[in-house]
Amino acid sequence: MRAHDYKDILGGLLLIVVGLFFGLQALWNYDLGTMRRMGPGMFPAMVGGLLVGFGVILLISGWFRRGEWPVWRIWSPLFVLSGVATFAVLIGPFGLIPAVVGVVAVSSLAELRVRPVPLAILAGMLSVLAWVVFRLGLGLAMPPFAWPF
Amino acid sequence: MEFFGNLQLGFGVALAWDNLFYCFVGVFLGTLIGVIPGVGVLAAISMLFPLTYYLEPTAALIMLAGIWYGTTYGGSTASILLNIPGTPANAVTCLDGYPMARQGRGGVALFLTTIASFFGGTFGILMVMLFSPVIAGYALSFGAAEYFALMLLGLVAASTISAGSPIKGLAMVFLGVGLGLVGMDSQTAVARYTFGQIELLDGLSLIALAMGLFGVSEVITSVRRVRASDIDPESLRFRAMLPTREDASRSWLPLFRGASVGSFFGTLPGTGPAIAAFMAYALEKRASATPERFGTGAVEGIMAPEASNNASDQTAFIPTLSLGVPGSATMALLLGAMMIHGISPGPNLITNEPELFWGLIMSFWIGNVMLLILNIPMIGLWVRLLTIPYHILYPSVLMFICIGAYSVSLSGVDVWFVLFFGALGYVLRVLDFPAAPLLLGFVLGPMMEEHFRRAMLLARGDVFAMLSRPITMTICAVIVAVLAWSAWSSWKRSRAAARAQV
Repeated sequence: MRAHDYKDILGGLLLIVVGLFFGLQALWNYDLGTMRRMGPGMFPAMVGGLLVGFGVILLISGWFRRGEWPVWRIWSPLFVLSGVATFAVLIGPFGLIPAVVGVVAVSSLAELRVRPVPLAILAGMLSVLAWVVFRLGLGLAMPPFAWPF
Repeated sequence: MEFFGNLQLGFGVALAWDNLFYCFVGVFLGTLIGVIPGVGVLAAISMLFPLTYYLEPTAALIMLAGIWYGTTYGGSTASILLNIPGTPANAVTCLDGYPMARQGRGGVALFLTTIASFFGGTFGILMVMLFSPVIAGYALSFGAAEYFALMLLGLVAASTISAGSPIKGLAMVFLGVGLGLVGMDSQTAVARYTFGQIELLDGLSLIALAMGLFGVSEVITSVRRVRASDIDPESLRFRAMLPTREDASRSWLPLFRGASVGSFFGTLPGTGPAIAAFMAYALEKRASATPERFGTGAVEGIMAPEASNNASDQTAFIPTLSLGVPGSATMALLLGAMMIHGISPGPNLITNEPELFWGLIMSFWIGNVMLLILNIPMIGLWVRLLTIPYHILYPSVLMFICIGAYSVSLSGVDVWFVLFFGALGYVLRVLDFPAAPLLLGFVLGPMMEEHFRRAMLLARGDVFAMLSRPITMTICAVIVAVLAWSAWSSWKRSRAAARAQV
């Protein structure tokens, strides 16, 4: 147990930042209008204000409460999100199957264990499945392979 | 009679071949996803959400709804056999279901919960058929102020009633409302929070948001945590599934009580099937002459919650279909699927789109019958699924998410948004923020803003005049009561926690 609840302190700070972003952007750049005839900025400014308010409450109550540090996992988010990024990068220039192999290969590293043969089988099966379901079944315009150069 | 005409119309739609097919796909996938712990309903529905672009709206809704009530059927399997709830709605079923399995009566428990689910589902569907048209007729007189107040009530209740800190729930609702603001303002055509990006003019993609927030972040937190396990298939032969006469006679009243409790809690915003199941269990224990049997494998302890959660799955459609105000994130997604197809939800839905409304409701029945067949003779197949290791499952899930996001507009931008929302979802999980209210706020936010601005215009800019109409006043009083109750209960909880530390 720590002296303060750092999860809520961090959460409160994040909310304040996001709320300020929404609120100030609305106040500076969008027309507020009047209460009777509201412009595009009025409602966003209110939402921003509420977010800041909730952030402040959370921050203060977290300060006066004992709690824990937030526990972050490093490898799982890194590899899972990199897998998604790999797909986003590959799908346009290289086509469906390289993108599927990419997301499967990179994201499976999150297990922190490489099993080359099962991985190859899984990637192969999912490539076929993706091609059958999305290209043949649903007829989406996704070429299985492409070459950008 | 008009009622029977509607029934006929509904069956006509629901029994069309392609609707039958999508209904089957929905309940099949729902069972699949419900059986496997670590893939939630929201993740599942958002994974399949892109498909609905390519379907007729009725078929799309039939499929998505099938996933929703199918998971609750499937979820009891893992609860009973592994003591791990397949979905949160089946958590209570563990209490008596797992002891039954350990006594070698797992097959009986699975059989009985399927019957209870079917009964609860049927009861809930009847409620939807009876009450939705009545409520919708009443709601026709609602104006912008009433809708604004109703939506606010839905958001406040959904974010504060469920477990966790009410402040965090409310903060997530308004974060969702804020994210919903991105895009072109519908009344003045001013681009808000787009920063010159043309892709953002239509707003952030609901699909990318749901898949990132629920699918990707769930994968991140489950990797290397969810383990597959082995089960004795002998106890699951059909012979071993038949209940004794005593089981059957003990089951009648819990079925009715569970279904009634579930139907009631299903219609309220914020109290989904999980709370309904818990309430039914608590009621059953209190009503029982032998409460000490609960927790040791009492049949009543699985019948009541399973009837209750399935009834509430169905009655959750009452506010969604008759008012256009969803009570949970899942219902918000279904509403989103309607709006993508240009169907405006609200009290006019039943009269304007009778094929959709009655067809959907009748498909519930067909879906429930399919689930009965899927879950009793085919239980062995589902049980085998529990042995699939997660390291094979999650790359497949991610692949479907990526392709799904990409398929919406055939652009990598949506995949990058999935990544962004996946990261956001992970941060929110670590900091104990609930993600479901965010989705609800995101869907309801734009509608709320529109109603708010219209209501203020009608009330000449006077907030009190706007809120002083009789229906809005009542709703506002309920909102204040919900807020006061949740503030009081969280204060009580924190005091108890502080005392426990000393």
